[in-house]
Amino acid sequence: MTIPFPSDAWIKAMMADLNASEAYLAAAANWEGSFDFIIQVGGKTTTLYMDLWHGKCREAYEVPEGAEHKADFRLSGPVAVWQKVMTKKLDPMQAMMTGQLKLTGNMAMVMKNVRAAKELVESCTRIPTEFPA
Amino acid sequence: MFGRILKIDLTSGSITREQAPEQWTRDFIGGSGLAARLLWEVLDPAGDPRDPSAPLLFATGPLTGTGGPTTGRFTICGRSPYTGLWGEANIGGFVGPELRLAGVDILWISGRAAEPVYIWIHNEQVEIRSAAGLWGQTDIYQTQSAIREQTGEAQAKVACIGLAGENGVPYAAILSDHGRAAGRAGMGALMGSKNLKAVAVRGTGKIPLGDEAVYKKLRVESNKALLEANLTAVMKATGTAGAADYLQILGDMPQKYWTAATFENAGNIGGAAMAETILVGTAACQGCVISCGRVVNIKEGPYATSGEAKGPEYETLCSFGSQLLVDDMAQITALGDKCDRLGMDTISAGNTIALAYLLFDRGIISAADTGGLRLAWGDASPCFTLLEQTARREGFGALLAEGAQALAEHFGAPELAVTVNRLEVPMHDPRAHTGQAISYAVSPRGACHNQSDFFMVEMGNSMDEIGVPMTERLVDSGKAGAVARHQHFRTAQNSLTMCFFASVSAAEVARLLSAVSQREISVEEMLLAGERAWNLKRLYNGRLGLSAANDKLPKLLLEPLEEGGQMGHVPDMNTLMSEYYAASGWDPVSGMPTAEKRRALGLEFTL
Repeated sequence: MTIPFPSDAWIKAMMADLNASEAYLAAAANWEGSFDFIIQVGGKTTTLYMDLWHGKCREAYEVPEGAEHKADFRLSGPVAVWQKVMTKKLDPMQAMMTGQLKLTGNMAMVMKNVRAAKELVESCTRIPTEFPA
Repeated sequence: MFGRILKIDLTSGSITREQAPEQWTRDFIGGSGLAARLLWEVLDPAGDPRDPSAPLLFATGPLTGTGGPTTGRFTICGRSPYTGLWGEANIGGFVGPELRLAGVDILWISGRAAEPVYIWIHNEQVEIRSAAGLWGQTDIYQTQSAIREQTGEAQAKVACIGLAGENGVPYAAILSDHGRAAGRAGMGALMGSKNLKAVAVRGTGKIPLGDEAVYKKLRVESNKALLEANLTAVMKATGTAGAADYLQILGDMPQKYWTAATFENAGNIGGAAMAETILVGTAACQGCVISCGRVVNIKEGPYATSGEAKGPEYETLCSFGSQLLVDDMAQITALGDKCDRLGMDTISAGNTIALAYLLFDRGIISAADTGGLRLAWGDASPCFTLLEQTARREGFGALLAEGAQALAEHFGAPELAVTVNRLEVPMHDPRAHTGQAISYAVSPRGACHNQSDFFMVEMGNSMDEIGVPMTERLVDSGKAGAVARHQHFRTAQNSLTMCFFASVSAAEVARLLSAVSQREISVEEMLLAGERAWNLKRLYNGRLGLSAANDKLPKLLLEPLEEGGQMGHVPDMNTLMSEYYAASGWDPVSGMPTAEKRRALGLEFTL
């Protein structure tokens, strides 16, 4: 069974996957910071939130539209780019460097945790995902 | 009109002004492109690069100092005393813009002063002053301060050499401001050979902006877009070494003098680690919104700084860090600072010392050769002595002062020197990005990432609008044309002059150039000017004996490593180069542009 992306069910599936991943635990051992993944689909914007803390995900959900909300990092872009990254057709660092995904937050923290970013992508590939047509 | 040349002959003391031919500024723009056209006329292939008649050019471009995106730079050009070939080294800071404010686009220095001197340009007033009190006594920061004091101009901008340049170390640099360096190809040695300690400038005029209203609007838009780019955010937060951790994963960051791909503690010496530990601020070149320069404060320990100091950039972090398996950021900072103060290129100096470590490790040299110093991986403490000896040409440093190739040859191991045309390879391993292998092999000044940083393209920084798509980094075939186009664009930027860190499209750059030139210049015309200058530099080297046989990588870079992000891979130079010659219109035997190509580029005068 596939899970639609982006959705609350999808981000919760990723939370479960990350929390079962030894590789992510090792790669993100020093990571402290929450993420808003902002996905543009057509004219609609969906925000998926993850609280990532020392190799574990403490909380994850789809942010309700209009809800007051703030994360340490924001990564945003069109769903087509997200799909490329999540299916490993585009390296997440390359997506960021080329500006295909816009990132705000503590850049030093991000640049020091490239391996953690790669493990996040690995996690995405393990989730049976249904992308918007 | 751009192209105002100030000519100073240090032998006769004559000072004259002239205007570069308009056609040349159209065909070659400015910066190192126009310098190549100017120097073509006076090249004496039989002469020595240090002959007094050999000119040294400080070449700005039409965008220098205009407040456009990353346009605070200029280029120092001449025939390299180090490689014997074309030499250019671009430099940020404030000297280039100040030259233009003083009404000088190109400063042409020839001759040799009878005694050490410095040049003082104060708007229209130009003087050749004695540097007797400065020669041999001061480091580059003290020199700057002393000259400001002597001229009575606190705002004077100073480009100077250190002890290394005075003593003719062939990879001596020219430095200015807060440690900005024209590091490569020995332009500091060329300056020293003229008995010229410094060029000091104060200008209070106006830099021509062409169509001012249009240009000002464009530069605001460009700078705003640049400020919002991800790459700018990374550079601002973490400096040029921000991607070190990523480069480490890719196998791009060299370790242990190019013989290892990973280094356990590399994470301790990246730009991110610096930001989390000793970084207290940033420093920018004139008008730059990126501000990639690092300002650090090391409060305690043996390398404590006396307040704020310049932090090392990526090349220096590798030169005195990963290449020696050293992970002590404070120690690397101190070594970078020492190198700057002595006036040496950190890439060449660091690489040469790292080679000495390799020779020591392999038993080719011993403490008997090094004056008792034990060179062991992970211990950079001998480097302080080695740098001092190198700049003074004393002890083992007298050998180091001749560079990596000469050092390896001296000890019967020429195959261990990682150089291209005698210039040490900068800190991006071409085994991890094969497009960079071409860039190194054909760079007009020897191995160089500032003629084409193609590794960035292969990391995702593509320029699709000019036919430079992202290419697969470990594949050889099919990318040579993109490398050539990238070189042409970068050469145009070195003519403008403009920093490569600007995430600004070619179309935007062409619009800026059009506005400042007050005529429509298309992307194609700008790229053609870049290609023309690229080919002219090649032909300049051809007159000095360079051929396709020079277009190769050193042996160590063609040996695969057994680990890391480039594991088992080496560039296939036959494929890369044969495709490159075809894409460039270069004869594969002579390595020179064909007659047809020269005509197509308007380079008939070279036939």
